[in-house]
Amino acid sequence: MINKLKKIIKSLSLSELRSGMKITGKELFNTKTTVQYPEEKTPISPRFRGLHALRRYPNGEERCIACKLCEAVCPANAITIESEMRDDGTRRTTQYDIDLFKCIFCGFCEEACPVDAIVETQIFEYAFESRDGSIMTKDRLLKVGDDNEESISQARSEDAKYR
Amino acid sequence: MASITIEIDGNIVNAKAGERLITITDREGISVPRFCYHKKLSVSTSCRMCLVDIEGVPKPQTACSTPVSDGMKIHTQNEKAKASQKAVMEFLLINHPLDCPICDQGGECELQDVAVEYGSDVSRFSEGKRVVAPSDIGPLIQTDMTRCIHCTRCVRFGSEIAGIMEMGGTGRGEDLKIEPFLAEGITSELSGNMIDVCPVGALTSKPFRYELRSWQMASADSVARHDLVGSNLYAQTYKGLVKRVVSGDNELVNETWISDRDRFSYEGLAHENRLLLPQIKVEGQWKEVEWNVALDFAIKGLNKNALNSRKAHKLGGLASSTATTEEFYLMQKMLREIGCENIDYRLNVNNLDDPIHLDSNIKLSDLECVDNVLVIGANLRLEQPMINLRLRKAQLAGATVSALNVKAFDYNHKTNHSTVSPNEIATILAGALKVILEKNSLEAPSYITNINPSELSINLAGKLLNSERSVIVLGEHVINNTQAASIAQMVAQIAKQVNGKTLNVTSSANTLGAQYAHFLPKSKGMNTNEMLTADMSAFLLLDIYPEYDFHHSNSAVEALSKDDVFVVSLNSFNNELVAQYSDVLLPMAAMYETSGSHVNINHDMQSFAAAVKAPEEAKPAWKILKVFADLLELQGFHYENITQVSEELRHQKIYKHKQDIAIELGKKSPAIETIWMHSAYHSDALLRHAKSLSSSKIGQTNSASMNTATAKELSLECGNTYLGVPVVVSDSVADRCVFVSSNQSTDMGRE
Repeated sequence: MINKLKKIIKSLSLSELRSGMKITGKELFNTKTTVQYPEEKTPISPRFRGLHALRRYPNGEERCIACKLCEAVCPANAITIESEMRDDGTRRTTQYDIDLFKCIFCGFCEEACPVDAIVETQIFEYAFESRDGSIMTKDRLLKVGDDNEESISQARSEDAKYR
Repeated sequence: MASITIEIDGNIVNAKAGERLITITDREGISVPRFCYHKKLSVSTSCRMCLVDIEGVPKPQTACSTPVSDGMKIHTQNEKAKASQKAVMEFLLINHPLDCPICDQGGECELQDVAVEYGSDVSRFSEGKRVVAPSDIGPLIQTDMTRCIHCTRCVRFGSEIAGIMEMGGTGRGEDLKIEPFLAEGITSELSGNMIDVCPVGALTSKPFRYELRSWQMASADSVARHDLVGSNLYAQTYKGLVKRVVSGDNELVNETWISDRDRFSYEGLAHENRLLLPQIKVEGQWKEVEWNVALDFAIKGLNKNALNSRKAHKLGGLASSTATTEEFYLMQKMLREIGCENIDYRLNVNNLDDPIHLDSNIKLSDLECVDNVLVIGANLRLEQPMINLRLRKAQLAGATVSALNVKAFDYNHKTNHSTVSPNEIATILAGALKVILEKNSLEAPSYITNINPSELSINLAGKLLNSERSVIVLGEHVINNTQAASIAQMVAQIAKQVNGKTLNVTSSANTLGAQYAHFLPKSKGMNTNEMLTADMSAFLLLDIYPEYDFHHSNSAVEALSKDDVFVVSLNSFNNELVAQYSDVLLPMAAMYETSGSHVNINHDMQSFAAAVKAPEEAKPAWKILKVFADLLELQGFHYENITQVSEELRHQKIYKHKQDIAIELGKKSPAIETIWMHSAYHSDALLRHAKSLSSSKIGQTNSASMNTATAKELSLECGNTYLGVPVVVSDSVADRCVFVSSNQSTDMGRE
């Protein structure tokens, strides 16, 4: 009985509306947090798992040694690798494809890689317009790596102490 | 050995006194880690990984070398055992590189597996690791000796099984290296087994290097068809291609070893020379066509040339001995249905009027237990490596091995070689038979009454008489001996007299399958040589490459190339001469691409399924033959799968040649005797297309050996050629004989 009465008084005095408007009023004068994407962008964690890239060593040699551990660990079977013995006797890939339609961006490939060759960059804007655009070939992956080496290595070094 | 009981990890286990502990744990399914121990090799106790705790013994003991005794209490899993195993693992990993990601053994590596359980995730070793410079040991095995953990399995395999200690340890301690002693590397015909026994990635397959990781491949059971043993093996496949072959286990056949020939022949499958599309010859021009067009063309041709005009007797069917038993069976069934009896698989025999007939009546596993061996005309080690392996075991166990050969071949076991001319073999055997008959107080048949047994005959007879379990092996070099049939018959008689056994290795591959399938001319049928000289109008040929397969290669090509002869060829590889004489070329599946069976010298019919699909338009020959029969509207070819064919032929008995021919001695040819053999890695089409095998030392063999006197008589010397083959002067060859072992075709000689 008492509770029913309290409820009626509460609703008649518009207390909930007032508490809501209080927050609105406060936020009206606070600093704004809305990000004006694409002009503005939010900061990204160094562990962000975006578009893949294949890295090179500073001397320009590709890191990937075709061990196929990423292919084996990939839960979505998105990676296809073919390997050969290059003329200098080293083990290299002849084909390294990632199907972005299949990829679930779990980051296992990155974790499995013994030479830090395959990485997931902080790039998340990679919409493609053709169907075959979903296949990241070795050349495309290396290009992504070359273009973003700076941010990739920075993200690695920032995260290194937590690994 | 007395039966005892021991206790392992609290469980009572029965064992024999003196048995090695590790054999008991293996039998009971108790896991004890090990690297150097291998069930087929001697115990070296070098890796120390199998340490276990034995109650009452102060220090942990190695399970591989400890004999058990009654009441022994063993702990394989307690703290002491585990701690010592972990300590050993740490030592082993000190120098082992962390290159698993690029190591071909990765994923099937014993060290990797054991390290997961016993290794630590952090290395306490901060000093420099040992590095061993790579060395090239031949085209078959890749070495990465930095990875070696010095288990010495490869060294023991070489000295104990292959019989040639090519690998060995040099240096001590940190500097100990496992490497071949000679710069020419590893040349053994069984060398590939070192890859299988190596527990780490130090020895891996060179043709397979960096191609795939072990987990990517599917594995299919198969049977090798290059020799009379039919070694069991696994064909490992990826995306429809055979990528690697590893040995399978079968105590009765190949134990756990396979020859290099069986291991690396798969390379030929991917050769660019494969025949891929059906082709027909129209007005002298080859045209690639659909299967139905090619088959119609073939049927029309056969009908026109042979069948319509009731001239089935002018049709001939020849097959290579590498065919499967089912292919032999279907082909002979089809030909016999249409009334053709001209069926043969014996292509390389000069005289087929008196063929060799000798049963093989000893099992492969029993070969190890014989006490006296007489080998006649065979370079067993290369021609039948798995049989030589068994005989070597017998020799090591005390058997005496004697050989009557044109050349003192290296048998890798102690052999009493007698180099004799092919002409003399029959006389020597007759002499031995006479001595044996006299000893058994039996009357000698007329043909040997005039024989005066030579010292060699008496010697051989003595050995045979003094042994309880002897075996006489008749080899491939005898097939073209002028007295081949007599030799075979005398071998059978000698064996009968001394209660011995015989082993007929005069033909290889699946020739026993051909005999089971009755792929031989019966009654009125013509044999190969008769067919090639007769006035024939059509031929059906199964996987034949004339310049290698026929004894009379030039006249064979001539006979097949006649204008009015219609030739249908089923082949797996392209070949110029085949294209020259054929009118239809039908691409057929090669080994690993077809299902079927192989009959080995134990008379085991071993079936196998296709591991991969044949490339492009090539089809398994049994399917081609079945459709062929259907198109000829023959009855009884309603097979839906290969097992129906196998079932049907399993009821057949092996075809026996006519027995008891009149033995004639003294047929001698005055000319210099030439024995022509293809080198071991060129004995069939698939092998000839396997690149790594061809570039190995055995594959490169190309020599005509003769002694100084013969060379002088022929006015030849080293550097010259004899029948197109480089001459090698060696005094291990019998007088007035030339032994040719060549990787070339025979079109240059052997006429």
